[in-house]
Amino acid sequence: MSVWEEQLTGDIWLVGVSGRLDQSQTTDLEESLQKLLIEGCNRLVIDLSEVTYVNSGGLRCLVTIWRQARDHGGNVVLCNLSDRISQVFAIVGFDKVFAIYSSRVEALESLAGDQAS
Amino acid sequence: MTQEISIPGRYDRIIEVCKFVVGGAEQAGFSNDDLFKIELACDEACTNIIEHAYGAEDMGQIRVSWQFAGIAFTITITDEAQPFNPQDVPQPNVHAGPDDIDDLKIGGLGIHFMRKLMDDVHFTVDRNGGNRLVMTKYLVS
Repeated sequence: MSVWEEQLTGDIWLVGVSGRLDQSQTTDLEESLQKLLIEGCNRLVIDLSEVTYVNSGGLRCLVTIWRQARDHGGNVVLCNLSDRISQVFAIVGFDKVFAIYSSRVEALESLAGDQAS
Repeated sequence: MTQEISIPGRYDRIIEVCKFVVGGAEQAGFSNDDLFKIELACDEACTNIIEHAYGAEDMGQIRVSWQFAGIAFTITITDEAQPFNPQDVPQPNVHAGPDDIDDLKIGGLGIHFMRKLMDDVHFTVDRNGGNRLVMTKYLVS
């Protein structure tokens, strides 16, 4: 799994993930996100377009990150889930828990709207 | 046709089980969608053994075999851990919403995945010690 970060606008950051998102691979993602939170970047768009696989360990990681971002006064939204990854989220009802958008633009608008409201 | 593999109970070794079982299911003729379901079910089963039965990594072996007979692709997964009762694992809340994030319990997702992704799932305690999980997926055209 690889992780990259990109500042979208202001304090909103994009975190891209590729490969398998499971408990043996989540350390890089957790470290990357911890670093952003410590630096005050707590409004995050996580782009899962290049994630090929996710299991309960990967879902647990995303929940933990979201909670930590909220604890820092921020928020996390997801975007660009493939049909297969969407299917995994739906099986455990996480499609109703997370805010999931079909594009980065929609995800960014959502987070920017949070700030405006 | 039967094949068998044994791995140490470590999260980073589970992918070997996944590849081994998916290879068998591929030979049996399952679709890519079913292969994905079988892979995730095996992954969750092995994760569960490490997390709940052994309680940690490197506490014992996980043995996995698959058999294809008729239309039934059967995966048997055994461990040497203390008896594991799936009823002891809390049921996940699969009807949660965004406001439930702080209280959302993540435990129990693995068993939920297995039951949703496979056609039959049976947990038994092995009389010789350890636990036995048998999961079946039927090949339907």
